Amino acid sequence: MQLGRPVMSPSSERTVRMPVDLHARPAGEFTKAAARFQATVRLRAGAKEADARSVLMVMALGATAGTDVTITASGADAADAVEALAALLAGVGA
Amino acid sequence: MVGIVLVSHSRKVAEGLSEMLAQIGSAEVPVFVAGGAADGRLGTSPDSVAAAIREADRGDGVVIIPDLGSAVLSVKTVLEDIASDRVVLVDAPFVEGSVAAAVTAASGGSLEEVSDAARQARDVPKL
Repeated sequence: MQLGRPVMSPSSERTVRMPVDLHARPAGEFTKAAARFQATVRLRAGAKEADARSVLMVMALGATAGTDVTITASGADAADAVEALAALLAGVGA
Repeated sequence: MVGIVLVSHSRKVAEGLSEMLAQIGSAEVPVFVAGGAADGRLGTSPDSVAAAIREADRGDGVVIIPDLGSAVLSVKTVLEDIASDRVVLVDAPFVEGSVAAAVTAASGGSLEEVSDAARQARDVPKL
C-alpha cells in the first residue's frame, strides 16, 4: 500500500445561484460543456439531481432564477470541470 | 458528426422541431426533415425519408426518429433498401428524444450514444 496517494478519483463540488431560469437553451449549453470533460458530473437543485450529460434531466431540475444549484464532479479533471461549468451557469443570460 | 432525420406526418411539426434542435443542440448537427405526404397533405413519404437520410449522412451514421404509426412504416420501407448498420431507427418520444439526440450529437457522441440518448428520453420525467 502506498501512503499519500488518493485511493479514490478526485472529486470537486461548487454551488452557484442561478442568475436566470435554467431553460432549454442554457441546459443544452451546460450538457455540451459537461461532455468535454472525462469527469462524471452531476447537478443538484433542491431534492432533484441530474446526470449532467442528460439535457432532459438538467431541464427537469426546474432550476429557476435564485435557486442554488450544486455541481459535483468526480474524475481526473473534476476540478476543471466544476470551475468551467460553474462559470457557465453563473454567466447564463449575461 | 452523427446526423438526425425527423420523420413527421406534418412538415410544420418536423421543421419546428428542427429549429429547436438547432438552438438547444447546435446548428452544426446535420438535421434533416421528412414531413408530410408527397402531395403536401398530412402523411409520410418513403422518398422524402430516403432523401433526408442521404443528406444527413456525414459518415458517422444517422439516427431516424419517427413521430407516429405510418412514419415508422415509411422508414422501415426505406431501410429495407438501405440495410446499413450506420442508419438506425429509434423508438423514442419525438420532441424529447430528438432534443436529447441533438445535444448528444453536438457533443460529439457516437451513433450508439446518440441513439441511446434518444431512447432514454422515454424514462426522464418532465415534471
